[in-house]
Amino acid sequence: MVGAVAAVASFAVAPAMGWWFPHPGQSLSPLGQQIDDLFYLILVITGVTFVGVQAALGYILWKYGGGNREKGIFTHGSHTLEVVWSIVPAGILLFIALYQMDVWARYRVKSRFDPQAIAHPIAEVTARQFEWRIRYPAPGKTLQDTPQFDDLYTVNDLHAPTGRPVVIRLKSEDVLHAFYLPQLRVKQDAVPGLVIPVWFQCDKVGEWDLVCAELCGWGHYKMRGQLTAQRDGDFQRYLIELQQSQFDDGVRVANAEGKPADE
Amino acid sequence: MKLHQVSSLVVIAMLALAGCGQPPDATFSSNREKLAPLLPDARKMVEKALEENFGTPNNLVAWEKFKIDYGAADPTADDDHKHHRNPGWRLVDGRNLYMQHCVHCHGTAGDGNGPTAKHLNPRPRDYRQGVFKFKSTLGGFKPARGDLIHILEQGIPGTYMPSFVLLGPEKLGLLVDYVRWLSIRGNFEIRLAEELAGLGATESDVTQEVQNDESKKLQRSDAIKAAISAASGEVAQLIEREANDLAENWEAGDLPENAIVPKVKRHAPTRESIEKGRLLFLSQYPDPKDPDPKKKTECAECHGRAGRGDGPNTEKFWEIPKSNPKRSYETAGLHDIWGHEQKPRDLTRGVYRGGRRPIDIFRRIHQGIPGTQMAGFGAALTEEEIWDVVNFVLSVPFEGKHSAYPTEVEEQKQAEKKDVAAAQE
Repeated sequence: MVGAVAAVASFAVAPAMGWWFPHPGQSLSPLGQQIDDLFYLILVITGVTFVGVQAALGYILWKYGGGNREKGIFTHGSHTLEVVWSIVPAGILLFIALYQMDVWARYRVKSRFDPQAIAHPIAEVTARQFEWRIRYPAPGKTLQDTPQFDDLYTVNDLHAPTGRPVVIRLKSEDVLHAFYLPQLRVKQDAVPGLVIPVWFQCDKVGEWDLVCAELCGWGHYKMRGQLTAQRDGDFQRYLIELQQSQFDDGVRVANAEGKPADE
Repeated sequence: MKLHQVSSLVVIAMLALAGCGQPPDATFSSNREKLAPLLPDARKMVEKALEENFGTPNNLVAWEKFKIDYGAADPTADDDHKHHRNPGWRLVDGRNLYMQHCVHCHGTAGDGNGPTAKHLNPRPRDYRQGVFKFKSTLGGFKPARGDLIHILEQGIPGTYMPSFVLLGPEKLGLLVDYVRWLSIRGNFEIRLAEELAGLGATESDVTQEVQNDESKKLQRSDAIKAAISAASGEVAQLIEREANDLAENWEAGDLPENAIVPKVKRHAPTRESIEKGRLLFLSQYPDPKDPDPKKKTECAECHGRAGRGDGPNTEKFWEIPKSNPKRSYETAGLHDIWGHEQKPRDLTRGVYRGGRRPIDIFRRIHQGIPGTQMAGFGAALTEEEIWDVVNFVLSVPFEGKHSAYPTEVEEQKQAEKKDVAAAQE
């Protein structure tokens, strides 16, 4: 009894304590917030049903179990009850199915993406066993479908500006992978041969997880990356620094040591 | 006893047996190829020298001879880092990271033969030769510490070597120092085994000696004794000499004067520069100083005229170097010093294993790629000419594509303008 009360109590406080989701509990993106709301809605419906059913079951056991040895009566059942417990859950499921469509469309339907973001993807992310290879367009340019001579390349550390929707083009070089940003509630499979646009918006500056969420081989567990969310200005500066280091010709005129800076 | 009691006892006994037994201590796998020809006692000398000076994976020995930061004792270390109170903790931390991230491909001894290695192509690097492909240093010099860190940060695109950039600089430093130490250990093993073999401490030397003995009185056991006593008289000196030499080599790799630093800036990849690079690549560029009027780079011999990595050299059967009697590799094509087939890079793919910065490609062309047939052209070409080749190499993936190189775009625009102007007239 104590256990049951504790379970119900912890279930009731869990959303407020942020126990359901990875650190920091709250989603960092507006759409993620809506996905969380959907999750909580379904959780409340299923939670209330579950607790109610268990309470009823316990009550029946308590009432009719133990010393009460009266002979049971056979009934054929109640038509009305059958209809009620078919129609009510069906109605609830239909409600959920219709209610979530808008969030789903915002998340997945390309025509609902921010047109500015879809026209200028910030990067192409290519998953491969077992790392994330990233290609950015040169600062001020638009990402093209094929590699360009001035593209910038990095690995595992995806930088993105905060506060506005951004799009990446997701590819896979070998097998199925999944691009998963847990704090932003974004998860999308990377499929060999397909280029899949994925959009997200991170509202908080920081370094967030990027993990592979599709078993992709023996090294799947170590296919970790990082989303570095920066203010727009910092992001542009990052690209410029990246450009300088990538087109480094190693000449160090003013360097007394005569050694390139990276050594 | 009831059945469920018996079965729970059995389960407890099984757990006790499985959980409490000590696993066998890890060992550094020995270099079978180099140790096999030696006499058993000579082999023991090598093994003893290794164990004394380098220890075992569970009990590392930090040999002070080498300029590696093994980690000085830090008496103020907190309880979570108790082992930092002992000297040599950096080596221990490096080993722990290596065992977590690297060992399954590169093996405990750095022999490139971990459990996953046989599934990979190209194979993981065997560090024991002390040869590293992608480095910033001149010719025979060891890689600088920063070169190995750079590889760990960037990974090697086109191979199974992933990036470890998220481990952060501190852990990467620990890893690189442990890898350098492993490479020194493996190289020391090879050198000592070769020296002892040179002193005649091998099975075949003894057999030959007995056979060649004209008096027919020489016993095999006496010959072995003589060979071993000769070897054991020298071994201490050999250990000293080889270790000093290795220490010197690795220190030299870190010296700034041994790095390849171009003095001439890279010039813009103009059409002329790319075209000049192409001619150099095809060995069709006139060389005014040479009686034979073409500069001999012969890039296309391996990389192919279109840069697809399919030059005529990839179809020859090459002789195995130092093979006695002479024989060729079983498969056609180039091979590296590790005996694996080595495909010249397909330049149209735009995948650069050693890095895609112009300086990376400059260094590859300047000094070649150690361990492979890629030769260095630092002596044959001027720095300007190398930059031309770099510009050409970087332009190959964009040849004839819509996403053209900037010069081509410019020329197209010019041509279009002319067309428009012509049409208006």
